[in-house]
Amino acid sequence: QDKPVNLKMSSWVPAQHPLNPSLQAWADDIKKASNGTITATLFPSEQLGKAFDHYDMARDGIADFAYINPGYQPGRFPIMAGASLPFLFANGKGGSAAIDEWYRSYAAKEMKDVKFCFAFVHDPGTFHARKKITLPTDIKGMKIRPATSTIGQMVTSLGGTNVQASAPESRDMLERGVADAITFPWGSIGLFGIDKVVSYHMDVPLYVTPFVWAMNQSKYDSMSPAQKKVIDDHCTSEWAEKVATPWADFEFAGRAKIAGQAGHEIYKLTPEQLDAWRKATAPGEAQWAEGVKKVSQDPKAVMDALKASLAKNKSAL
Amino acid sequence: MSTDAIAVLGFVVLFALMLLRVPVGMAMGLVGVTGYAWIVGPGPALKLVGQTSMRTVTDYTFGVIPMFMLMGALVSVSGVSRELFKAANSMIGHLRGGLGVATVLACGGFAAICGSSVATAATFSAVAYPEMRRFNYPQSFSTGVIAAGGTLGAILPPSTVLAVYAILTQQDIGKLFMAGIVPGILAMAMYVMTIAIIVRVRPDWLPAGQLRPWAERLADLKNVWAPLVLFVFVIGGLYGGFFTPTEAGGVGASGAFILGLLRRKLDGPKIREALLSATRTAAAVFTVLIGALLFGYFLTITQSPQKLTEFLTSLGIGRYGVLALIMLMYLVLGCLMDAMAMIILTVPIIFPVIVHLGFDPIWFGVIIVMTVELGLIHPPVGMNVFVIKSVVKDVSFTTIFKGVLPFILTDILRLVILIAFPIIALWLPTKMG
Amino acid sequence: MNDAAAPTRPRVGVMDRMINSIEWLAAMFVGIVALNIFLAVVLRKFFNTSIPDSYDFGRMLLGILIFWGIAATSYRGGHITVDLVWTAAGPRMKRWIDVFATLVLLFVVAVQTAMLFDKVRGTYVDNVLTYDMNIPTWPFYAVAWLGDVSAVVLIAIRTYRLIFHPELLEETKPEMKADE
Ligand code: NA
Ligand code: NA
Repeated sequence: QDKPVNLKMSSWVPAQHPLNPSLQAWADDIKKASNGTITATLFPSEQLGKAFDHYDMARDGIADFAYINPGYQPGRFPIMAGASLPFLFANGKGGSAAIDEWYRSYAAKEMKDVKFCFAFVHDPGTFHARKKITLPTDIKGMKIRPATSTIGQMVTSLGGTNVQASAPESRDMLERGVADAITFPWGSIGLFGIDKVVSYHMDVPLYVTPFVWAMNQSKYDSMSPAQKKVIDDHCTSEWAEKVATPWADFEFAGRAKIAGQAGHEIYKLTPEQLDAWRKATAPGEAQWAEGVKKVSQDPKAVMDALKASLAKNKSAL
Repeated sequence: MSTDAIAVLGFVVLFALMLLRVPVGMAMGLVGVTGYAWIVGPGPALKLVGQTSMRTVTDYTFGVIPMFMLMGALVSVSGVSRELFKAANSMIGHLRGGLGVATVLACGGFAAICGSSVATAATFSAVAYPEMRRFNYPQSFSTGVIAAGGTLGAILPPSTVLAVYAILTQQDIGKLFMAGIVPGILAMAMYVMTIAIIVRVRPDWLPAGQLRPWAERLADLKNVWAPLVLFVFVIGGLYGGFFTPTEAGGVGASGAFILGLLRRKLDGPKIREALLSATRTAAAVFTVLIGALLFGYFLTITQSPQKLTEFLTSLGIGRYGVLALIMLMYLVLGCLMDAMAMIILTVPIIFPVIVHLGFDPIWFGVIIVMTVELGLIHPPVGMNVFVIKSVVKDVSFTTIFKGVLPFILTDILRLVILIAFPIIALWLPTKMG
Repeated sequence: MNDAAAPTRPRVGVMDRMINSIEWLAAMFVGIVALNIFLAVVLRKFFNTSIPDSYDFGRMLLGILIFWGIAATSYRGGHITVDLVWTAAGPRMKRWIDVFATLVLLFVVAVQTAMLFDKVRGTYVDNVLTYDMNIPTWPFYAVAWLGDVSAVVLIAIRTYRLIFHPELLEETKPEMKADE
């Protein structure tokens, strides 16, 4: 008979966020597979600690499972930062399987303080702005609230200014003209009421934010072999995609919702325009490569592996 | 031991430590971390200390607290309160009870640029009290009106306590500030009416002051331009969306500094005093914030907030019954603690209940700040009363509490009005868009 | 905070000069934080540009100001306390309460300082950088941590004086206490 275990799962998104029920369903499946010996309590809305600290929380046992945004701490996870470079991911579901398959081999080293469970992404986000952005040169002089530090550096290198704000503050920032544009996935635009204050949406999968679901190592070590197997069976690329799917669907549906509202312009980019963006954002990849070299990895091999995984999972842009 | 029992024990030890004068924040931190260690383990509990301390002090949104404190400290040392009182007194001091009304108005004016009720009370103890005594106002009334007028500092925006409530409950600071304006003006109006009633009942009690020639009166009135500019700039900028709350605080502090320099009201020692005072009070408040977060993580692990919500809703006394119970608890706590500590200690536990009952979080912020401010003036312990006592040495606590009594009654009446008509608080923030 | 000029306090010895300097350092940081915000707003409004990393600088300076401020506040007895029992107690009891409370304070801040060192070390080892310019953040955290170190030193001095030289301690007056 296995010792009963209760896991504290920490997510920093608010209780009503679509990710929470997914994580709960994942935990319910673990309970079933472990014959009820592994139960879990989900603590949403930063109840156990701030969003920025979730990696450390999993490491230190403040949470047994934690939802981590590695991009919150620029410089700390240089390989993972590659997935946040622009114009890589075409969608969130296949993209989640792709990033998980790719990162799994690096995680043991880059996230060695925790037990990596799986990695996933949200559905790609783009520019939502008060004025139309079609070319990289349009960014010059604009004040933009970036989603990630990588996008922030892209904005700066194109002559724009970064404005930092939490997601709930963003609407006010845009309304008050403190920011002219924001990078966000589509569904969140409606969720935070940003559709009331921006009207131009560039219809291109600009970026994704990589996330990791990780476990406290000593909690894992304390489990019986049978329980460990249940955990291992739930830390797979299939589960990465499964957990990410409801959120991805929610974000994806946001585009149609905005398209259905009056006063919004959603515009596609021509191949030439997209090419201009890729050229303009190339220095960002070079800068990322420097960071990867510092941890004695070959950036080209890392990036090629990511692209191959994306192609395999039908989510390459 | 069950987690419920550990949570109850935690509260008992917390109150024991606080009564033994261990700083509130340190007591909360110590009990929180010990309780957390008991349930989860000492390793994670210790890591939580470093993580929570560092994250709290480097949280940009918390920057709003020291910035508004600095602005308040700078206007305090610039002598703005004296100018405001002089102007109000010039206009109405010659009426019966006029000096009292002038004190209320000047407190309101000062409150519009200073976020602290204690600072407001301290300032006017030095400025308005000697004047009221000169015209033979009773000691009890003079100190009472200053204690009550001081609470305007936290009700009218900017307000440090409201800002802390907003941060703890993730509400918009700008909206909360707007929500405080009309209730703050209502508070002033009701204080003035209270004085009018006192004049009616005891005509000989509050004699008339001096009538001054119009030229002098207008000259005094002209001096209020500086605080007015600062108020319009900061609160207008926040309302109109020119800056975020933290920026409003930083820009307001810079504005107070520049205005003080231009008007030659600031010198080296005064600037030093303002900077030091802002640092001290900010550090004291952040200590409580860190402690409260640590205590909060402990409570989260025991799941007591959820259990409290379930318990209160199962009582079957209706949402207003629960609200009355909560406010009663605040009045009892107000016998022990001051406003900031009460807000930081209780809001994380009480707020989920309020949301669950369907009350408006912005409205509740105004209600709760008014309730804890009442704690600053009601016996046996009241921060504003202590402050007045420390400035006005020859007055007893009993005298001050006696003088403040009529104002406590109006405060309670005002709370009833605001609960019956939430629109009074919510009208302005909804206009904000 | 008072219109009347604050009475000048008697200062003695090296300890007091050190306490003074610590307070001054903290006070300077408040001014710097305000200046940083002011400049950021002016640059954004009128020149449509920004100081790179002003957000990260702002929040790290805030951390420095608070920990150095805690040092000064702890020494002066400026923390938010519940004074009900203390006020009612006789002089002997008052001293016992003060000694107990200060010892608890010393213990808590010492633990906090030790754990903050762990946090600063982590920031260094994990190579956490600023958002815009990718500057290492650990030096800022280290300066903030030094504030907490000086808090431990000052509380130790306070404890010593409280037990052996209570006449050397000046308490914070109520109007300098909590800002509500
Ligand atoms: Na105020
Ligand atoms: Na009281």
